Amino acid sequence: MPLSYTDYYEVLGVPRDADQDTIRRSYRKLARKYHPDLNDDSDAEERFKELGEAYEVLSDAEKRERYDRLGARWREAEREAPDENFEDFFAHQGFGDGTRVEFGEDLFEALFGPRAGRAGGPLRGRDREAVLELSLEDALAGGRRRLTLDGRDVNVNFPAGVRDGQLIRLAGQGGDGRDGGPSGDLFLRVALKPHPRFRRRGDHNLDVDLPITPSEAALGATVAVETPTGTARVRVPAGSSSGRRLRLRGRGLPQRGGGSGDLHAIVKIVVPKELSDRERELYGQLAEAGARDPREA
Amino acid sequence: MNADEHTGPADHDLAAQEAVELTAVARQAGVRIVHVRRYLEFGLFEPHPAAAAETPRFDPRSAARVARAERLRRDLGLNYAGAVLVCELLDRISELEARRQ
Repeated sequence: MPLSYTDYYEVLGVPRDADQDTIRRSYRKLARKYHPDLNDDSDAEERFKELGEAYEVLSDAEKRERYDRLGARWREAEREAPDENFEDFFAHQGFGDGTRVEFGEDLFEALFGPRAGRAGGPLRGRDREAVLELSLEDALAGGRRRLTLDGRDVNVNFPAGVRDGQLIRLAGQGGDGRDGGPSGDLFLRVALKPHPRFRRRGDHNLDVDLPITPSEAALGATVAVETPTGTARVRVPAGSSSGRRLRLRGRGLPQRGGGSGDLHAIVKIVVPKELSDRERELYGQLAEAGARDPREA
Repeated sequence: MNADEHTGPADHDLAAQEAVELTAVARQAGVRIVHVRRYLEFGLFEPHPAAAAETPRFDPRSAARVARAERLRRDLGLNYAGAVLVCELLDRISELEARRQ
């Protein structure tokens, strides 16, 4: 189809200095008038397409400016322009279950996207991206979420061991296709929520505090430690001071390409607030036994 | 008002074996199943009465109704109720025009 010059202002029936409200009002009115499902005239479909094209240009300040300046040649100028910023299409919307998601798409952008000026024919829907916030435990265990995005329900099965920043693709759950074109895809970017006990260090390693008694620290012990996937046992060597790191290999977060990072249990000596008489007596004896001053290197 | 009496599935003597499942309606309409379910909730089309209750089946012509409602919803910024209402009014208009001729 040869590109002929179409006066978009004429198509929308608005003056050249019309403001955005006027343009939007006129577009909506004419869209109802010429929608092919509402108008049997043979040229209704063509008019409707033209309207969409005119509105796409005149409702966008940048495109309108180019169109006003370049007239018929404006589209060639557009081809040289960089792609529109994908992020611009997203607003904020919440999940029903309290999980946060960033999502959204303007109806008319969905309809008359950046390529709307093309000749007719099927057009694949736009890909969309949203954030899927997961707890550490959920990310490691895998599971299912029901999200409400843009008024429609989306079921997401996420595999065990998804990584922070990983993209989960839901084929066909993006923007609607046009003229029979396939829908775009929805990409969910995994964001791990901060955990009250496990602290991330680097991409795959986790730190967790390991509270132990002074005698366990002095004499050594095997104690239980919490890991994201359940309880494990760790040997605390005799003579462990607070801050000592005990590595649990492979108990951290999954790595790209297989394997997992490590979990570091960090020794934290906890002294009872109140001592029994017997304990006080024994600590007294310990003090007399002449432990070395830890403040002297 | 129930325009389905004239153009919808319920009015036709459709053999139960011709009825299709909801997924087929969605596929033929080119509309995602979640949207199709919404139209079903709003009564745009109804399960075929002769079909077994546990796996509802539908007149294959439901797909055309769904496709039209979806175009209207998308193109004109309507909600589901609005799109279904417009479809019913269009059916009504067709019916009145047919009667007049």
